[in-house]
Amino acid sequence: MRMKNLFIWDVKFQARYGFYLLYTFLTILYAAFILALPISWKERAAAILIYSDPAAMGLFFMGAIVLLEKSQRVTAFMSITPVSAREYVASKVFSLCAISVVVAVIMAAASGSRSVISVAMGTLLASTVYTLCGIIVATKIVSLNQFILATVPVEIVGFVPAVLGLFLDLHPGFRLYPPVACMELVAGKEPSAVGMLLTILTIILLFWTACRLVRKMWQEQGGVKL
Amino acid sequence: MKAVRLSFMQMIKFMAADMMLLAAGVSPVLMGAAIRFGIPCIEGLLMEFTGLPRVISPYYGLIDILFAAITPAMFCFVAAMVMLEEHDDHIDRYLFVTKLGKKGYYISRVILPAMLAFAITCVILPICGLTEMAFIKVLFLAISGTLQGVIIAMLVVNLSSNKLEGMALTKLASLLMFGAAGPFFLETPYSYMLFFMPSYWTGMMVTCNNSLYVIPTVMVSAVRILILARRGRY
Repeated sequence: MRMKNLFIWDVKFQARYGFYLLYTFLTILYAAFILALPISWKERAAAILIYSDPAAMGLFFMGAIVLLEKSQRVTAFMSITPVSAREYVASKVFSLCAISVVVAVIMAAASGSRSVISVAMGTLLASTVYTLCGIIVATKIVSLNQFILATVPVEIVGFVPAVLGLFLDLHPGFRLYPPVACMELVAGKEPSAVGMLLTILTIILLFWTACRLVRKMWQEQGGVKL
Repeated sequence: MKAVRLSFMQMIKFMAADMMLLAAGVSPVLMGAAIRFGIPCIEGLLMEFTGLPRVISPYYGLIDILFAAITPAMFCFVAAMVMLEEHDDHIDRYLFVTKLGKKGYYISRVILPAMLAFAITCVILPICGLTEMAFIKVLFLAISGTLQGVIIAMLVVNLSSNKLEGMALTKLASLLMFGAAGPFFLETPYSYMLFFMPSYWTGMMVTCNNSLYVIPTVMVSAVRILILARRGRY
């Protein structure tokens, strides 16, 4: 019940601040762009667009979400409610993943992809990884500029090998790398089983780290350790 | 004037503490180097791969336009983020009642960073640009890029009420830069649909090789800036 309420609150929060409006507009724009491309380019272009925007949405917005919650004292109130850090993190991940997956499915349909389920799965995994990375970074920063700078290494490590893997024949070892495995799914390819397993292990590790850091952030409100 | 200078220096100190100053200072140089040396290399590889005589080179002008716009966009974006922080922390309203005032606040937060970005673009663009450029073309590209940076900052700051809306608007506002691609990819009657984007006219300036297109660039930008200044929250 608590989890459901948190999820609804997060969805309302995102709707109030224009996430749904923004992504409706961006989806139309991206779909139009994909439709205008030559057939041979569509699938790869859609994969890059999906991976770099809806899937990575959490990494872009999480800093602003957490900083806004801090300035509205939401995190301070959270710390004295029965809500656990695990529920807080999971709610953020589910609510952002929901938008990512819907946008990705529409873009995949526009590209004429025959593996929409694979795209949805890849987006779900990538979005979870990036949202968790966003939460981890967001708990450590005090300004938006700090967040933007701190996410640059995550973007380089996450995007460069994944995008290169679409165009080049990388060493088979790269297929085990979680961002590459997610991109393979987004591009409608069959990912390696070990790659998928490592992605899930990465998510578990990131989730655990995010929960620990959120708990720590709640405990250190306004210079006082609760 | 002293208040504006002090306010600008305070923002610079704030940015320096975040390491954003270093990043904003270094990234135009890194980006310039990547464009100057990386793009011709990629073009060579693509020519070899596709067997075509030209792949990216017909769009070098477009890359130059985007490069001219990226430094001001980045400087103004960083300044907009500082302004959003100050709004959320209620610092801006205290600054308004000081000698600085609203106008001085805008000058120190948007106009001065834009002027700095303009100067940097004028220096870097002729060195790192991919096409041959006369000084007047460099100047016009830098002007249009700077005006776009100002529009992006004002859009973000005036239409958003907090950081989160600001980030969402940043994403939308940065799409303004891509109007420059219109004249490169769309036929003329259809490309006019993008007339409301200043970057579209910059694209026309490059594709038609006619510097007079700087006039609509400045006019469209001025209209946008005026509307934003009037409808803004400040």
